Amino acid sequence: MTKKNANMHTNKVAMVLLILGLSTIIFPLYLTIVIAFKQPSEMTNSISGILSLPQSWSLNNFREAMEVTDFWHSLGNSLLITLVAVGLSIIVHSLMGYALGRNKAKNKFYSFVYLFIVSGMFVPFAILMMPLAKQTAEMGLANWFGVIILYVVFYMPMNVLLYSGYLVNIPMALEEAAKVDGASTWRTYWKIIFPIMRPMHATVAVLTALAVWNDVMTPLVIMAGSGQNTLPLAQLNFQSQFGTNYNLAFASYLLALIPILIFYIICQKQILNGVVNGAVK
Amino acid sequence: MKEVMKNERKRTFLLITIPILALFICFNTIPLIRGVIYSFTNFKGFGKYNWVGFQNYLDLFTDGRVGKSYWFTFKLAIVSTVVTNVISLILALGLNSRIRAKSFFRGAYFLPNILGALVVGYIFNYFFTYILPAAAQMIGLKGLSTSILSNPGVAWIGIMVVCAWQAIAMNTIIYISGLQTVPEDVYEAGGLDGATGWKQFRYLTFPLIIPFFSINMVLCVKNFLMVFDQIMALTKGGPAQSTESISYLIYNNGMSGGQFGFQSANAVVFFIVIVIVSVAQMKFSSSKEEQL
Amino acid sequence: MKGKRIKCLGLALCCMASSLFVCGCGASANDGKTEIEIVQYKPEAANYFKTVEDEFNATHDDIHLKISSPNDAMTILKTRFIREDYPDIIGIGGDINYSYFVDAEILADISDYSGLQNINQGYLDIDEALELVPTEGIFAVPYVANAAGILYNRDMFEEHGWQIPENWEELKALCENIKAEGILPFYFGFKDTWTCLAPWNSMAVDLSPADTTKQVNRGETTFSKEYREISEKYLELLNYGPDDPFAYGYNDACTAFARGESAMYPIGSYAAPQILSVNPDLNLDSFVMPANDSKDGNTLNSGVDLQFCVMAECKNKEAAYEVLDFLFADENIQKYIDAQTAIPCKEGDFQLPSILDGMTEYITSGNMKDYQDHYYPSEMAVDAQIQTFLLNKDVDAFLTKFDNDWPRYNRDIIRLVQEYEKQHGNAN
Repeated sequence: MTKKNANMHTNKVAMVLLILGLSTIIFPLYLTIVIAFKQPSEMTNSISGILSLPQSWSLNNFREAMEVTDFWHSLGNSLLITLVAVGLSIIVHSLMGYALGRNKAKNKFYSFVYLFIVSGMFVPFAILMMPLAKQTAEMGLANWFGVIILYVVFYMPMNVLLYSGYLVNIPMALEEAAKVDGASTWRTYWKIIFPIMRPMHATVAVLTALAVWNDVMTPLVIMAGSGQNTLPLAQLNFQSQFGTNYNLAFASYLLALIPILIFYIICQKQILNGVVNGAVK
Repeated sequence: MKEVMKNERKRTFLLITIPILALFICFNTIPLIRGVIYSFTNFKGFGKYNWVGFQNYLDLFTDGRVGKSYWFTFKLAIVSTVVTNVISLILALGLNSRIRAKSFFRGAYFLPNILGALVVGYIFNYFFTYILPAAAQMIGLKGLSTSILSNPGVAWIGIMVVCAWQAIAMNTIIYISGLQTVPEDVYEAGGLDGATGWKQFRYLTFPLIIPFFSINMVLCVKNFLMVFDQIMALTKGGPAQSTESISYLIYNNGMSGGQFGFQSANAVVFFIVIVIVSVAQMKFSSSKEEQL
Repeated sequence: MKGKRIKCLGLALCCMASSLFVCGCGASANDGKTEIEIVQYKPEAANYFKTVEDEFNATHDDIHLKISSPNDAMTILKTRFIREDYPDIIGIGGDINYSYFVDAEILADISDYSGLQNINQGYLDIDEALELVPTEGIFAVPYVANAAGILYNRDMFEEHGWQIPENWEELKALCENIKAEGILPFYFGFKDTWTCLAPWNSMAVDLSPADTTKQVNRGETTFSKEYREISEKYLELLNYGPDDPFAYGYNDACTAFARGESAMYPIGSYAAPQILSVNPDLNLDSFVMPANDSKDGNTLNSGVDLQFCVMAECKNKEAAYEVLDFLFADENIQKYIDAQTAIPCKEGDFQLPSILDGMTEYITSGNMKDYQDHYYPSEMAVDAQIQTFLLNKDVDAFLTKFDNDWPRYNRDIIRLVQEYEKQHGNAN
């Protein structure tokens, strides 16, 4: 009883350290926000100049950035690709992680497939780029759908690694109990294993969403010439070799940051309130 | 009855594995094989090309730039992996402990991961070029009074800092999700035996999150060995070509330059090297897992 | 509860998948017009090309023009080439990529295009020189050029009574003068390696033959011989720059120069928009890099910045020529050079941007030579090698490495040249 009470107290040491650590994040964020509001003519190389507040807090940069990137349209494309890719990843990769994670210890075939897929993580994208550009075009996949399929394939190694790692902590006893009731493996998976892996789904969702959301190369190579832009593609408009408009770019990055931050906050509740604590005994 | 169940289980696993594996082979393995084929040509990325046999591979082993990029990449990867894992483990423990404004902290510490490369590049360039030297001068530190990104000897440290800064967010999430799998009663039982603080972590918490530790190690090694964005954002391989990572060479010279064939050979060798490193690492950590 | 969530997710996925297919259609609207697609590589000129596109489509009902100005256009073009999805016309620079494209035989011969008559012969010659081996035909119409030299702060110069230097000694004397007044003569942004090439190129045109690389390819000379003077003089320039020039990037240098922290910035005319964005009131002018010891030896460093090539796969060359005619209309070119501070490659009465005042003499007399780096393969990273050299200050090591690396990175080109010479005798 006393133990419980002690735990309810705030961990003061942790709080202090966390607040101190926060400065490494607040400072860059402050710079980003300040620069996003400034005009190019307010940019200097002096420290007091960069730290100073903008002359006016006008939203003009944001408005212009939205115009240049065709914001709503690009945002729609990005959202669509990210959500579908994440949804498919959770379904496909958790299944694969389950099949491999449960069998790789005792079966040579599954252990080989596991290593085969996980090693796919280390294929440099540059070597796949040209062949993939050709292959997707031949298969009529030089569009969003192709990009989504590629994401499901690209992030499979990482996610399979995550899922099968998580499975180690989920005892077989849970499945065996269901089997005694006569449930098929397929059904057991969806009824018992899939829900238990919720914290991992959220983790996978965050990691995959983040990677997809920020990715430039895949849509650049696969959808080139289709006239469709994702947000990161549209943001390339701000930089060229001979000149970069940092103010507009920063405004645009701040805008692009909001959806993924919201997504993360939703997901991290799932990571936090995982049901595992109750289920694994 | 038992036999039937076993077969059903086997069949289900096969039905799951085969189609997904096929998809993977179609969009990862086959293009990779095509890439390997290009590594035996002098293909520039477009137009006509000739077979050159093993010429590209021979060139690779005599190319000083490639050798240097391996040294740089591995140095960066090892140091960043250690730094990132130590900090994110501490951070995960902190964020998982009883604190106020948990959601706020978790959201804030996630931010570095979502800031785009252009923003991160600009801000850290600014930090290393103007702010850090000025601060160093103020407190009289001679060694830091010039930008570390302009010094070929230490520029890699600047890149390491940014790599770690960005990667910590992701590693922390994985550690947090790992900490969720540690049941409360373990601590309660441990508390009775007098395991608190460091002892509690070393003997109770850490063994239970070892699978997550190995996942993070693999992901770190993968991300840092393939480092590219941070290089582009911070130094573009400079100063004096001291921060050219392997991926940077493969992308820059293979795609933007006309060395597609040669850099494909580089990519093939790099792939083999990384796979060997990671398999060894996974074997090592899974043997650790079994011990515990 | 769980089942519901999964169902919701499934439903959402279905919705998205179906919307995907709906969006997939409706993209191709073709009503019997000839479609001409241009991909050009200067995203900073996107607005200009959008206007041109609209004006063209408003005045032509048989041809529909589509111009895209993507960022990283070279990657896009290369990936499109590999999947054999060629645009009709490409707008690229006169650099080694152009040389490769000519060699790959993916560009159409446009010798029969009538508009070529109005193009400044100097720029056509530059394009011809870029061909790896002399190739029958003309493959590009130069649109605009840029020039590199030294940009200077005109107000600052007038205020102190400084004169424009005409040879190397005068330049050094000027720098000493500026320094004596407590002002920094040059700013450098060497952290971005490509900026190391700007002074290099503009000194190279004064001090080494325009076809240095070709002479080396034929085995007639070495870089150690041709580039020694440039290297030594480059090191002297460093004395007049900031203490640690490798700490600052292009953007830092532009900002500092715009804010009056230095009197001059050795860079190309292309930097003007970035500099003026920081300080729109800056009175900016330029002069030719006076690297040679006598005024007569100095030449303006100018190369083709944007040129249009018709692809060999283009179905309707007539329509492509009509589009080119429109692009090369005087008023359109004038609009382009106003917006981008460029030099027109077409002959005619154009109003040059004021920041090129100091170079006009050279432009009108045609006294100019191409950038040497247009002949360097990008994978050799000459820019990074120059940066290394400027850090180590070791002329011999730099030039030896240059000579050693060159055959390795140009193996295919040298073989091509040798084969050509075997076939055609020593014609060139």
